[in-house]
Amino acid sequence: MKTILTAALLAVALPAGAAELRFATTSDPTTLDPNAGNSAPVFSLLINVYEGLVRRDRDMKLEPSLATAWEPIGAGEGWRFTLREGVTFHGGQDFTAEDVIFSYERGSAPESDTSSWFAGVERVEAVDDYTVEFYTTEPNPIFPDSIANWMMLDKGWAEENDAALPSIEQGNFATLNTNGTGPYMVTERQPGLKTTLVAFDGWWDDDIGNVTEAVYQPVQNSATAVAALLSGELDLIEPVPIQDAARIEQSDGVDVIRGIEARVIMLGFPHDAENLIAGGEEGNPFKDVRVRQAVAHAINIPAILQTVMRGSAEQATQLIGPGLRGYSENIAPGTYDPDLARQLLAEAGYPDGFAFSLKCTNDRYLNDEAVCTAINAMLAQVGLKPLYESMPVANYWTTLRAEDHDMYLLGWSPGTFDAEHPLRFLVATPNEETKMGSWNFGGFSNARIDELMPMIQSEIDEPKRQAMLDEANRIMADEQAYVPLYIQPLVWGVKEGVEVVQRPDNFLVLRWMNVPE
Amino acid sequence: MLAYIIRRVFQSVIVLLAVGLVAFSMFRFVGDPIENLLGQERTVQDVERLREALGLNDPFAVQYARFLGRAVTGDFGISYRQSRPVSQIIAERAPATLELAFVSGVLALTVGIGLGVFTAIRRDGWAANIIMSVSLIGVSLPTFLIGILLIYLFGVQLRWLPTFGRGDVVDLGWWTTGFLTSSGLKSLILPSITLGLFQMTLIMRLVRSEMLEVLRQDYIRFARARGLSAKSVNFRHALKNTMVPVITVTGLQLGAIIAFAIITETVFQWPGVGLLFINAVQFVDIPVMAAYLMLISVMFVMINLLVDILYVWVDPRLRIDGRHT
Amino acid sequence: MSNLPDATRQGVEPLDRMEPAEVVQPSRWRSIWDADVTWSFRHSPVAVVAAVVTLAMILSAIFAPWIATTNPFDPASLNLMNGFSRPGVPNAFTGESFWLGTDDQGRDVWSTILYGLRISLFVGFMAVLFALVLGVLLGLLAGYVGGWVETIIMRVADVQLTFPSILVALLIFGVARGVIPIEYRDQMAIWVLIVAIGLSDWVQFARVVRGATLVEKNKEYVQAARLIGRKPGAIMLKHILPNVLSPVLVIATISLALAIIAEATLSFLGVGAPPTQPSLGTLIRIGQDFLFSGEWWILFFPALTLLALALSVNLLGDWLRDALNPRLR
Repeated sequence: MKTILTAALLAVALPAGAAELRFATTSDPTTLDPNAGNSAPVFSLLINVYEGLVRRDRDMKLEPSLATAWEPIGAGEGWRFTLREGVTFHGGQDFTAEDVIFSYERGSAPESDTSSWFAGVERVEAVDDYTVEFYTTEPNPIFPDSIANWMMLDKGWAEENDAALPSIEQGNFATLNTNGTGPYMVTERQPGLKTTLVAFDGWWDDDIGNVTEAVYQPVQNSATAVAALLSGELDLIEPVPIQDAARIEQSDGVDVIRGIEARVIMLGFPHDAENLIAGGEEGNPFKDVRVRQAVAHAINIPAILQTVMRGSAEQATQLIGPGLRGYSENIAPGTYDPDLARQLLAEAGYPDGFAFSLKCTNDRYLNDEAVCTAINAMLAQVGLKPLYESMPVANYWTTLRAEDHDMYLLGWSPGTFDAEHPLRFLVATPNEETKMGSWNFGGFSNARIDELMPMIQSEIDEPKRQAMLDEANRIMADEQAYVPLYIQPLVWGVKEGVEVVQRPDNFLVLRWMNVPE
Repeated sequence: MLAYIIRRVFQSVIVLLAVGLVAFSMFRFVGDPIENLLGQERTVQDVERLREALGLNDPFAVQYARFLGRAVTGDFGISYRQSRPVSQIIAERAPATLELAFVSGVLALTVGIGLGVFTAIRRDGWAANIIMSVSLIGVSLPTFLIGILLIYLFGVQLRWLPTFGRGDVVDLGWWTTGFLTSSGLKSLILPSITLGLFQMTLIMRLVRSEMLEVLRQDYIRFARARGLSAKSVNFRHALKNTMVPVITVTGLQLGAIIAFAIITETVFQWPGVGLLFINAVQFVDIPVMAAYLMLISVMFVMINLLVDILYVWVDPRLRIDGRHT
Repeated sequence: MSNLPDATRQGVEPLDRMEPAEVVQPSRWRSIWDADVTWSFRHSPVAVVAAVVTLAMILSAIFAPWIATTNPFDPASLNLMNGFSRPGVPNAFTGESFWLGTDDQGRDVWSTILYGLRISLFVGFMAVLFALVLGVLLGLLAGYVGGWVETIIMRVADVQLTFPSILVALLIFGVARGVIPIEYRDQMAIWVLIVAIGLSDWVQFARVVRGATLVEKNKEYVQAARLIGRKPGAIMLKHILPNVLSPVLVIATISLALAIIAEATLSFLGVGAPPTQPSLGTLIRIGQDFLFSGEWWILFFPALTLLALALSVNLLGDWLRDALNPRLR
């Protein structure tokens, strides 16, 4: 922990107009190594420290970062990136093509948690110090989108410190120390307690607010975090429990900033199960599309949004939210119609409903347990007999992977911000070799979508690609592969006057923040 | 006596080994650490590689043997969540818990003894009766709720005290302390009340009943009859004689305070080993859970051993009987 | 000592130290309820009030289906749009009115408390029963048989003390998932709670009973029973057990209060009663989310109920201990 002495020295050292930001989220990043953890908490913090070739602007559009330009090579053989000159790492080293090649080798190594980004990359070549070419086995139109979180490390620094490869299981120098090119440097790292970031004077860009020092602390209990914001001990908390937003808005000196996250919350079905795990009956009623549609019509999503989510979330029509690349405009939101639900159940041969299990998390998504409790009641109201069980996320994925579920709740945030992402992970038929469908717990399988997948992945022509995505999304909606519920809201609490930019990936981008002085 | 101690130490080692075995046989039921360690874009190959690297494919007995082999050298492995040595993490977190436990213990002891003596002396007074009843409120509500209510009242409404964390701490090299800064001291107040409330009630009631008993004994009556002042009788004679059981129970409770500060630390985001343990459970951080349980067992076993030895030493009957407790 | 977190660890007084040999003379255990105790009860207004409150709560729980205005455990009867109705104020959407308000799911708080009381008391009673039976049997065995049996039992008790109940609950939950048939798993949570709390609680029963048994077994009446050839099992159950019952009764009473609170604590950690059948603890855990947002009634009424229940049971235990302890009369 920081001593008072250094605190005093730092306070003296800060230039005029300097501002400190104290912020908290619920979970501390597991590592500071950009290749050892592929999760939102890790990238949310590291995006302030490390930079990629490309980055996302305030509206999630790609923009140049360490690469000033990029273009396809030939007819989809790969991508060529022109690097920015004059960029230095926090440690003073120059950023060149050598570092890109090194970062590629590091990020795509089997030891890395980010290797799937480079699955289709055949080889990478440095044409000169400031030009790098990526050759892919298939044309890959979204390659630049998929590497927005791929961060550049300095080759010399990593090798000197025995951190040439990431280590998830042992940890190494890069777990606790950073050397990026980004706007902030990590000056202090105490895992689980406190992380201090200080503005980097030598940053190449000037799109930066007035935060010169940012102190991050994880606060797990959201009621505690709200109390700390209200009492002035914190300047920014994320997330604010939805129910507390109104109270914070009314309080003096604090504000709530709302946005929409890229995460879609949905219900899954046991498509490929022979029998349901609950009820003890033979057969699987969910194989009948009418039963799945009945479930969709039984759920009063507007009511859930109105009460449980306090009006701060939007209904989802598909597995991604509007505004993301590949979103299909032609799909209407599901409608609440309990009579139709009962009728569909009767037509499918279940006029008296049937028993099935409904699994949910109780510590993963905003108000997940309350949403499921409400869904449980709504399903019961059309005559179904859900056996609802909620559990901590530590048990949840294991339960789903063990096929110990019928219906289940799932949230998905597309890492590439593209409609292809959820199709690949949640909709394509599970296949270990093609690495598709790895989160398709229900085993949904549609031949046409499987046929479309490789075509979508390699189509360079935007309208053609969109047409295929529209078709796939259409099939998903008609087949009721999932019940898309809503898009998770972003609710941040800030001290009055703190200006922030909320991006749908829910990253805390310090350089877009301004703190009242 | 020496034979007794050796036998007990031997039994204690067996207990420790048993704790480890039970723990390791059951960790896989807590969840799968791989789910937390790898991101959503992981592949089956990634999962297999990591599983192998962490030794999770081995039978639990092998994992346990490996853990034991390293633990005897003081190496508790690498935390899954933090990717650094568990012993280092625990060393960092221990001061926070120990300071909190110390303040809670002192609070429980002083207030508990004070109120216990008062309620014993004024056995039938209205104030004593009120204190007796009101003190039960502290043990009739769940700790987390007491903590949240205290935060709400003193942190949010009145804004007198910090709502979370340890405040500024001073690093003494091998120990970090919150005792030397005003924010550190302020931060200690609410959590230590929350944590110490239960023990306070316990000690108060214990002192009261011991006092009541001692006050009825002949030598106290005799002291009174001799004309000694009430103050002298109450404190020099009566209270002194209640101290042995109070010290014993406090000793046992100190272990309990440290071991079970989990809830208080979670509510107040207190950076101690209890919070570390809860995080480890949520993350299925097996090395941290194992080390924590081992340390807690060592502590309990040692305290139990000391108390038992103390009993044998204090109560000669047990020695004559040769009965081992 | 039990090993529940914080406020749920131990009887309010260290009952290990009560020496039942001096408390009750070796005689029929019915004599516990002699005139002295009844007299003491009648002359302790606190005890009378506590007993009345406790009894009222137990009766409310038993007759909940008749007292409650709705059945909050029947999901088909709920209307989400009734959610967050203020006490006594008609809901803005549905116009319905609830005298203690509704929670986030539109459940009538009054009815939910009554049904929650049922779950809490059931979990509490069953957990204490489990701990009592286990603890008394092991304690008798350890005290009477002695030797390595005693060593093993008491060292197992040490191991038990090491495991925080949250971990015990998670572990039992995991094991139960693997063992219990799927059809029964929706009821599993309650039993997991009972076993987890009971397991954390048996040690104190075992310790007290063992201590008492050590003293009792050398008494003349036990020696006599042994001489006339009674079997050890019979001696333990018929002769020793009645004489150690009064401290057991006191511990059981206080454990009941602690078990009910322990259930609430486990709920806070995410392993409590299921949200579709909330106990008082689950209601408090849900309600604390609405403390800052101004929907105070969702927390306040269940917390008040829990406080009244636990306080009454604690006061009864308090009185019982004093009443059964002749040294304090």
